[in-house]
Amino acid sequence: MSDSAQRKIGDVILKADNVSLSFGGVKALTNISFDVREHEIRAIIGPNGAGKSSMLNVINGVYHPQEGTITYRGEQRKDMDTHAAAKSGIARTFQNIALFTGMSVLDNIMTGRNLKIKSTFVEQALWIGRARREEMENRRVVEEIIDFLQLQHVRKTPVARLPYGIKKRVELARALAAEPSMLLLDEPMAGMNVEEKQDMCRFVLDTNDQFGTTIVLIEHDMGVVMDISDRVAVLDYGKKIGDGTPDEVRSNPEVIKAYLGAH
Amino acid sequence: MIYREAGQYKTTYDTDTQIFPIAQDRYAMLAILLIAFIVIPFVATPYIFSAILIPFLIFSLAALGLNILTGYAGQISLGTAAFMAVGAFASYNFMLRVPGMPILLAFILGGICAAMVGIAFGLPSLRIRGFYLAASTLATQFFVVWCLTKVPWFTNNSASGVITAQQIEILGFKFDSPQEKYLLVLGIVCVLALLAKNMVRSTVGRSWMAVRDMDVAAEVIGFRVMKTKLTAFAVSSFYCGIAGALFAYCYVGTVEPEAYNLDLSFRILFMVIIGGLGSILGSFFGAAFIVLLPIVLSMIVHVTGLPNSVTSNVELMVFGGLIIFFLIVEPHGLARLWQIGKEKLRLWPFPH
Ligand SMILES: Nc1ncnc2c1ncn2[C@@H]1O[C@H](COP(=O)(O)OP(=O)(O)O)[C@@H](O)[C@H]1O
Ligand SMILES: [Mg+2]
Repeated sequence: MSDSAQRKIGDVILKADNVSLSFGGVKALTNISFDVREHEIRAIIGPNGAGKSSMLNVINGVYHPQEGTITYRGEQRKDMDTHAAAKSGIARTFQNIALFTGMSVLDNIMTGRNLKIKSTFVEQALWIGRARREEMENRRVVEEIIDFLQLQHVRKTPVARLPYGIKKRVELARALAAEPSMLLLDEPMAGMNVEEKQDMCRFVLDTNDQFGTTIVLIEHDMGVVMDISDRVAVLDYGKKIGDGTPDEVRSNPEVIKAYLGAH
Repeated sequence: MIYREAGQYKTTYDTDTQIFPIAQDRYAMLAILLIAFIVIPFVATPYIFSAILIPFLIFSLAALGLNILTGYAGQISLGTAAFMAVGAFASYNFMLRVPGMPILLAFILGGICAAMVGIAFGLPSLRIRGFYLAASTLATQFFVVWCLTKVPWFTNNSASGVITAQQIEILGFKFDSPQEKYLLVLGIVCVLALLAKNMVRSTVGRSWMAVRDMDVAAEVIGFRVMKTKLTAFAVSSFYCGIAGALFAYCYVGTVEPEAYNLDLSFRILFMVIIGGLGSILGSFFGAAFIVLLPIVLSMIVHVTGLPNSVTSNVELMVFGGLIIFFLIVEPHGLARLWQIGKEKLRLWPFPH
């Protein structure tokens, strides 16, 4: 079980109300209501095509739902805007790794700090004053993240050359570099072996624990989900069929029938 | 063993983010600069200045400009010569129409005009990419040259459309001889190359590469894709504009629309591909290669006694072959081969 006893789970900071999203005829999300509390680890599970990734995309403004509202930090709106979401502290990783393949690990993680940059274009071109100071300061923070995620040995490697498991970790590092208050992780452990999964689990728990980061996690491995999440939402064919603590979800008959039963 | 970084430990981030973190590279760069600024002016002949060194430097600058757009920001362009033309004609008109205009300021204003045209013609990149963007920049190329030919104001009503560039004078000093022009171009190119290096090692450069590699992810982590692309168009066109002005004032000596044709755009694109996409050093390699290739080939033809007409045909064949080679085998061009060579040298004489 997670050490949720020590962490203080706060109020609801993000709430989706009756959100529906469709692509042409395909209904990706149907009338979903879903909330996230501050500092918690919130899992979304469900079979492939259930709409899990779409839900994350709605939360940080990549997709714009046709119906429903989203309330984030007390402000209700029709949809989110990617840039505004990033600015307000939402960072994420993608199901299909979305790293900048032509850049080194270090530069990839440095990009995560772009919103902290105050220096102007001219200062950067001249490499003077603030531009140089910020570069050093950001580098220091990035090195801490590199230590935290144990990426020291690949620091200067172009990401295209890295194995899959390490790429997933670099993507997490890039998201953490923004010092987010909410982290959306889309299948961070998919395709990993047991050892890599354990490492990733520990990184997620440590992030939540040390920085108080709220985490919304999509994951297929039931063992992992039940172990580390505070609350779990279950999606199936774009509908929410269950929501609650891992124990509640495990004993929900509809969930057992639609999802867990299949395993 | 000569090229080793052993013992050179980086103890601060400042030293690790230097332009040349390895000491040998720093000394080599210093030596090259000393030779370029101090030795060459004394030893080179006027022919070497005008036929090799000056065009090499000017093309390097244009290739650097295109490399920022295509190599770093991933936006293909076939309109490089058009942006050069804007720089040249804008500088010419500033010199012509503003009394007492200092020539360096005219060059900078020419670059700024090119940047504005670049932004305007970069707008389609917000909606289209790849092949369609290439086609749209091709339209830019033809439109700009057409405009400069058809609107007599730009050429100051000159009947032939060919105008002699004004004399270059900075603080009372006249740059007339090839040697003096070489030093002027060298100075400008060094400064602009340094600025470009600073850009690509800070956030603006990372924003270009992020948008190039994965624009959705770039957006999600907070880069503004639109602003990033337009900045790349502006900076790239500024560099090309300055290169165009230097091309007119320090190389050909005339300002004429026809000099900035599609052929020139393609030549600069080839420099970037052969030199290395996404490398500042590669822009210089590519320019050197394309300036030197015809000269070396004609020397070979001369020595072997083949007919002269062979040269241009062989040149085209070698170009074509190399472009295909680099596009397929090594998109990072000569710059990457240089890097591999250095890595080998670092381990030499131990194979691993
Ligand atoms: N960009 C898109 N365009 C069209 N259909 C999409 C798009 N994104 C998701 N979908 C569809 O929405 C449904 C839910 O997809 P997704 O959210 O990726 O599911 P999950 O992450 O649970 O596997 C699927 O039927 C998928 O095909
Ligand atoms: Mg998914």
